[in-house]
Amino acid sequence: MNETQSLVTLVPWTFIAQILNLFIQLFLIKKFLFKPINNILKKRQELADKEIRDAKTAKEEAIEMKNSYESSISEARDEAARIMKSAEKEASAKAEAIVSEAKDEAAGIKQRAEADIAQERKKALNEVKDEIGGLAMDIAGKVVEKEIREEDHKKLIEDFIRGVGEAS
Amino acid sequence: MNVEINGARVFFRIHTGIPFLGDFPVTETLVVSWIVMIIITGLCIFLTRNLKVENISKRQAVAEWIVELANNFVVNNTGGHKYDKLIPFIAALFGTSLISNLISLVGLRSPTADLSTEAAWAIVVFIMITAEKIKSSGIGGYLKSFTTPIFVMTPFNILSELATPVSMACRHFGNILSGIVINALIYAALAIVSNRLFGLIPGAVGRVLSQIPILDVGLPAVLSVYFDWFTGVMQAFIFSTLTIMFIANASEG
Repeated sequence: MNETQSLVTLVPWTFIAQILNLFIQLFLIKKFLFKPINNILKKRQELADKEIRDAKTAKEEAIEMKNSYESSISEARDEAARIMKSAEKEASAKAEAIVSEAKDEAAGIKQRAEADIAQERKKALNEVKDEIGGLAMDIAGKVVEKEIREEDHKKLIEDFIRGVGEAS
Repeated sequence: MNVEINGARVFFRIHTGIPFLGDFPVTETLVVSWIVMIIITGLCIFLTRNLKVENISKRQAVAEWIVELANNFVVNNTGGHKYDKLIPFIAALFGTSLISNLISLVGLRSPTADLSTEAAWAIVVFIMITAEKIKSSGIGGYLKSFTTPIFVMTPFNILSELATPVSMACRHFGNILSGIVINALIYAALAIVSNRLFGLIPGAVGRVLSQIPILDVGLPAVLSVYFDWFTGVMQAFIFSTLTIMFIANASEG
């Protein structure tokens, strides 16, 4: 306690010891402060980088998904349009078919009706002919006061009736 | 009344028998240096306990702040990331210097109040500067740089080269020593003033009070804000700044 060195002096041993102390301190501060802290900073940096990378990937995926959705929607729209068109076509074809069928049927009905009419007319005409034939014979019989033999005068009567038929 | 300001105490000497160097003196400087080292290392261990990547504690925030500060300090003074490997060295230098300067506040003798300490640091820095110079321009270029701009300037160039570590060591040491000297003078002066002032009180009361240096309470604390705190922080900062700047300039010049 009684021995002191002078106020301003260079002590070689102290000098050497302080150099060593400085390097020991450097080692300690490196080991206990810089190494762990830099480690943690690096880890945090990596974490942040990873997060950014993840976000980027997610964004890309979202864009991809959006594109695929859009394309599938447009596909669906096309499909719908196609179906609509084909349905329209089919409907119009069916309508046409129905109409033509109806027309055919109507034509058939008309034809049949015409045929019926013609037949009826023929029948009516024949009936009329027969009636007129009888009538004419009655009249003629009365006129000549003599029974006309139907067989004998058939030709004459038929000629007369033909003439009536043609005139009517 | 005499004011006595002594150098560092020598606790004991270890006999070594090595010529020239002599016996190893275990001085106050060395003992307090070890205390400083224990404080810094303990602080580092304390601050870096339970490190986490997220949701960090206040301790970790302080530790990260210190590391970032050291990084920025070196990067700003060298203007790049070329000297990033020096960051722990600068941090060690600054931390040791700072704690050594401020440890006088608890009544211990600063290790920096011993020229041997600063000389040791300065010589390390000088070797680093010289190594950097030789690395950047080669040994021939380094030796040639002494003869610029003309050959007769060689002695002055050598002198200026040697002045760098000497001035660094002496600047730091001088500031700390002056703080100690002025503190001692102020304590002594205030004790005398206090003695004379309270001696005016007649009777036994004055006799007792005049023996107690009452004025030594208070005023020195205010002055220590400058001589201990400000000078201590400033010198640590200046020493580290000069170190990193000299090393950075060495590779340019």
